Amino acid sequence: MSGRIIEVNQRKVQILENGSGAPLLYLHGFADVHSVKESWLPIHEKLAQHARVIAPAHPGCAQTDEYNDLEAVEDVVFHYLEVFDALKLSEFDLVGSCVGGWIAAEIAVRHPEKIRKLVLIGAAGLFVEGAHIGDVFMMAQPEYGSSYATLREMLFASVDQPNALEMFPDGKGELEDEVRRYQMLRLSSRIGFKPPYFYNRPLKNRLHRITSPVLVIWGEKDNFVPRSHGETYARSIPGAGELRVIPGTGHSVHVEKPDETAKLVVDFLGK
Amino acid sequence: MKPVQLFCWHFMAYPHLDKDFDDKQYTGWVTVPNSLWNNSKSRGLYQEYIDQLAYADELGFDGMVLNEHHQNIYGLMPSPNLIASALTQCTSRGKIIILGNLLPLHMNPMRVAEEYAMLDQMSNGRLIAGFAPGGGPETFNYDVPSANTREKFWEAADLIVRSWTEDGPFAHEGRYFPLRYVNLWPKPLQQPFPPVWIPGSRSPSTMNEVAKRGYCYFLSSRSHGGETHKAQQEFAAVLEKHGDHYHPFRFGILMSTYVAETDQQAREECEEGVWYFLKNCLKGHLRRVGRQLTYGPGVPYIPAAAWREYLKGYTPGRKLLGDVENWDELEASQSIIVGSPETVIRRIQNLIEKAKVGNLLIQFQLGNMPDHLARKSMKLFAEKVAPALRQESLTQFTREFPGMNVEQSAEALH
Repeated sequence: MSGRIIEVNQRKVQILENGSGAPLLYLHGFADVHSVKESWLPIHEKLAQHARVIAPAHPGCAQTDEYNDLEAVEDVVFHYLEVFDALKLSEFDLVGSCVGGWIAAEIAVRHPEKIRKLVLIGAAGLFVEGAHIGDVFMMAQPEYGSSYATLREMLFASVDQPNALEMFPDGKGELEDEVRRYQMLRLSSRIGFKPPYFYNRPLKNRLHRITSPVLVIWGEKDNFVPRSHGETYARSIPGAGELRVIPGTGHSVHVEKPDETAKLVVDFLGK
Repeated sequence: MKPVQLFCWHFMAYPHLDKDFDDKQYTGWVTVPNSLWNNSKSRGLYQEYIDQLAYADELGFDGMVLNEHHQNIYGLMPSPNLIASALTQCTSRGKIIILGNLLPLHMNPMRVAEEYAMLDQMSNGRLIAGFAPGGGPETFNYDVPSANTREKFWEAADLIVRSWTEDGPFAHEGRYFPLRYVNLWPKPLQQPFPPVWIPGSRSPSTMNEVAKRGYCYFLSSRSHGGETHKAQQEFAAVLEKHGDHYHPFRFGILMSTYVAETDQQAREECEEGVWYFLKNCLKGHLRRVGRQLTYGPGVPYIPAAAWREYLKGYTPGRKLLGDVENWDELEASQSIIVGSPETVIRRIQNLIEKAKVGNLLIQFQLGNMPDHLARKSMKLFAEKVAPALRQESLTQFTREFPGMNVEQSAEALH
């Protein structure tokens, strides 16, 4: 593993890199590297056995500079175009989870030529009538001043499973973990708080522009981005196969079942 | 020098909740079901509250205070300007303080500039113009993204003041509110513009922005332990840094009181309203029970570095004002001062002495307190408490701020 800071448009961007081989760009969500943990999660270690995994921290997250003019997902897309140029990445595999999955889809509809294969895990971004994306901001306000149970319920299959408690403990967590969680909420507030709530309505009708093979993975019981969003992604992208649902998981499948998730991804990318 | 200014603040709580509200309902804010609104019981409620404020004017208070809240039982004033408009017609003397319009909730700040200018004209120059950014609940009420709120707020506030002072039409090339033709009709009556008050909760950045512009800083805390005095010192230091000087009328605080003939009678008369206020109105705002929306990671409006500093001193699940369990704890919070005129004089005098504060914004009607008790308390305060506070504060301020012409210095700052 190695971490480094690159600079795009006078803004610092923190990059973690691990493994060798074909480049795999990973965009993080809420329960993830950069947005809770400083370093890799087990899933990334597994992916790194097969690829060169590159994980940038989103603007304002971890050590990446905050970008004050950022107020829509479009701004994040352009930020990443700069990052790709700086990293001299012209074609790569793109894996995004949660908010990172939304950003990945937005990049893919605009620049399908850059994407060899695309993996979306519990991706936000779509408007699906009657199936609202959850209010993670209200859930992030603790109950009784100290309980994050309802936030864990939104992001995981069960509120008291160890990985959920480890990332979103009650009371006072590890200071820097808490700061990273806050930073991720702050970025998300810019792009996903006001209506549209974590979605970009035109995205659905642009999905047909994605030309690469696509794998869509979802939790069995996702309380943040309802499973019908996964079905919509799978149905609307020409190169997407069947939606793959991982039993016994909630929104954060990559944390809850890292082995199964990694195997699905590695098999798909290796094909 | 002048004596402490005593203003009557009305929050306009919803007073008709059932006794089991706290047991049955998760919150009093944002998602509190509006099916609880009872139309037949509420008929005439606004009139009752407006009349109480008009009564404050009659009793000789220095003014009446209003503020803006949405979707809650704590304050039924989504538009304080409407109430202010009524007050321009039924009062003639006191200031009308709106603290304030929540600027990031308005699509166009010019609407606030216009309505405040109208109110200033309609009230014959009695408006004190408060601007506030809104807190957690309003973030959820109006879907205001948190990260840029403060920046957006100050752009709006500056645009409003510019529209009051600079002849139009001019173009505003702002980041958030670009406008081709800013050309305010009417202009405000007060020159160069109405006094501006900004609420804050001891954030250095807000104090700094307030000091830079020469406005009055209002501490929005409801409890007055050592923190109030600290806030005053911090603000005074910030003013010095800007080459300015503190005086008591640069600073205001919010407090609640109930006065009756004796200590015991005061407690007996106000207790129901006080507990209604603490347990119902503060649920979702200043209670840890349920989900407190006012401040926290879900409303990330302060920068990450400031959040890190906040976390260092923060105790999860600590008691908030509405969590007090008995009368002694409530007394210790110095939030609601209850007693005979002598007790109330002593306790408020003590607060003024320590915090050197010249603007007391006082809530009399609490929760479901009936009209006749609120009025009785206001009257006793005006007749028995206010004269002593005015006299003692004048002596104190004259001694501590010698040679300072407060009117002139406020003028010079504009």
